Amino acid sequence: MKSLRRRNIRDRVMEVVLMASTILVLLPLLIIIYHVISNGISAINWEFFTEELGSPSRAMQGRPTGLVHTMIGTLVVDFMALAIAVPVGIGAGVMLSEYPDHRLNPTLRIMNDTLNGMPAILKGLFAFVLIVKPMGTFSGIAGAAALAFVMIPIIARTTESALMSIPWTIREAALAIGLPRWRVVLSTVMPAAKTGLVTGILIGFARAAGEAAPLLFTSFGNNYLPNHWTGFIFNPVDTLPQRLYSLAISPYAQWHSMGWASAIVLLGFVILCFTAARLASRQKYQL
Amino acid sequence: MRSSIKPERKNNMYSIRLYITVICLAFIAVSCGGNGDNPGGQQAVPGSQQSSTESRMDILGAGATFPAPLITAMADEYRDETNNRVTVNYQSIGSGGGVRQFIEQTVMFGMSEAYLSDQVMAEVLEKTGGRAFNIPITLADVVPTYNLPGIDKGLVFSGELLVDIYLGKITRWNDPKIAGLNPGIDLPRTPITVVHRSDGSGTTNVWTSYLSRVSDEWRNRVGYATSVNWPTGIGGNGNEGVAGAVQNTMGAIGYNSLSYALLNNMAYGSVINQSGNTIEPSFAATSEAANIKLPEDTRILFTNTPAEYGYPIAGFAWMLVYENLDQNNAIRNRRAAEELVRFLIWSVTDGQKLSEELGYAELSDAAVERSMEMIRQLKWNGEEIGRNLLDGDRPA
Repeated sequence: MKSLRRRNIRDRVMEVVLMASTILVLLPLLIIIYHVISNGISAINWEFFTEELGSPSRAMQGRPTGLVHTMIGTLVVDFMALAIAVPVGIGAGVMLSEYPDHRLNPTLRIMNDTLNGMPAILKGLFAFVLIVKPMGTFSGIAGAAALAFVMIPIIARTTESALMSIPWTIREAALAIGLPRWRVVLSTVMPAAKTGLVTGILIGFARAAGEAAPLLFTSFGNNYLPNHWTGFIFNPVDTLPQRLYSLAISPYAQWHSMGWASAIVLLGFVILCFTAARLASRQKYQL
Repeated sequence: MRSSIKPERKNNMYSIRLYITVICLAFIAVSCGGNGDNPGGQQAVPGSQQSSTESRMDILGAGATFPAPLITAMADEYRDETNNRVTVNYQSIGSGGGVRQFIEQTVMFGMSEAYLSDQVMAEVLEKTGGRAFNIPITLADVVPTYNLPGIDKGLVFSGELLVDIYLGKITRWNDPKIAGLNPGIDLPRTPITVVHRSDGSGTTNVWTSYLSRVSDEWRNRVGYATSVNWPTGIGGNGNEGVAGAVQNTMGAIGYNSLSYALLNNMAYGSVINQSGNTIEPSFAATSEAANIKLPEDTRILFTNTPAEYGYPIAGFAWMLVYENLDQNNAIRNRRAAEELVRFLIWSVTDGQKLSEELGYAELSDAAVERSMEMIRQLKWNGEEIGRNLLDGDRPA
């Protein structure tokens, strides 16, 4: 009897400890969110979403100013990066997991880990040499390429572990009914690992969406909307993390609060993407 | 878990295949578009733009942080004046970055508070067959900023005094040398914390050039450049870094551009110039400093100016362009070059009117004249488009 009570107490204590550590993990996030929102909410208004930034004197003289070009630019650059990174990253992950004996794999794994550990600014430098120099101008596509280099190793890694977690019996069953190997991966393993794949893509995406360093010398920044929609791809483009940085180090109080506001938008954007992708991947499961 | 997947496998298979197809197609489309535009397609995109949106043009420039508020305000104004035809995109990445990107030919114009060195000028001449022009666009004035509670403004410094402080020879605010220049001010015994820029900066160039000119010891021991080996003190990144360090450290002294000090309500001092006059930093005093005989390429540092009422720690901020505009990779066609020249002309003339309300000194007449002379020499494939535009644009 006494021993049972003691066990119960011990159980409760452990529960409390676990809850406390969970809260401790969440606390920094909540503090950050609270801090960002309380500082930036004052700068959020209708114009913030409809006007271009222009010069600092606009903000100082109270003329309309906003970050519409930055928000659109972020969407374009991030999704272009995603479009580049997903096929490459998933492909590398499939290679590592489904063709474990391939001669290239040890090299691929080392390279992938190196790429993952590499400072993001170097990826920006690489995109600068690869795309900006030959094109003769900074461009959204160069920024997207730099961000894709951030996403690829993460997506490859998570794809590999997601696919590895699917039991070999599934592959064997598929092979037994005569499916070719690529079909096995595409039709059985990948659908089964879908949640894992989506999670991996999301982690890579969220990581890249917050990066400012690779964009400094690739997408470069812009105070205005481009003249033509192709300008988002072939001309300098503004993105939220980079604009946030330059607003934050500027000498103007108005720009500081706009920086906080852009942090709110960036946070909201990432959270929205997470939720949407989560819902989308879950829905298909239950159909 | 496994069994629950089986029934909808078919569905999943299709959706994944569709997804992959779409993404691959998008990828191919994007990469093809990219390839198509680089080498041969340079004419294609602006051409199609021309037909659809009535010849709009983006001009890209980058460089010094200090003139950024002025240049971006000019961009706003110029965009209005041209009815959105021309958008000038200026990004402040620092003088060092501006020169770098100008050499890399990724921007249509660079911006710097330090003029191009002889070596860079020679490289450009060799590479493009034409000169690099340093066109004065505005004036940079650097003021000593400090943090002494109760002494909000108006401490007087001399060149020798600033040298001694920055060499670490004077370490306390109540030093007789400081007190001698500031009779009647109750100076505390607080130790002096010297703050300087840690990044390569045109502001540092102006500041150290002044110290070099008033002191042989400084010139021999430290010299002047966009970044130097500081004998003492702590570093701050950018104008904002120095400002932050000064504002947070009691007894600190630093240097910032005047407009920056004004914007951030920092205390700044006056400086005694070569002629022995105590000059309180102002736009007029800065313009006055530039009212001297200028060399043709305007590559001159006029710190410690001989002008009698000129503020001694000032310099130009230059816009950097290639003489042969067609040699700059970032300028894709003749129209872009012409729009750049038009903006240049506008910014040294009408654009100057924006200066004072934003905290900048207007260019002196001598400087405007030199700028015009250089603009006249700008060429596109050998044709002097600068001269054509300038003499065509200003008939009245």
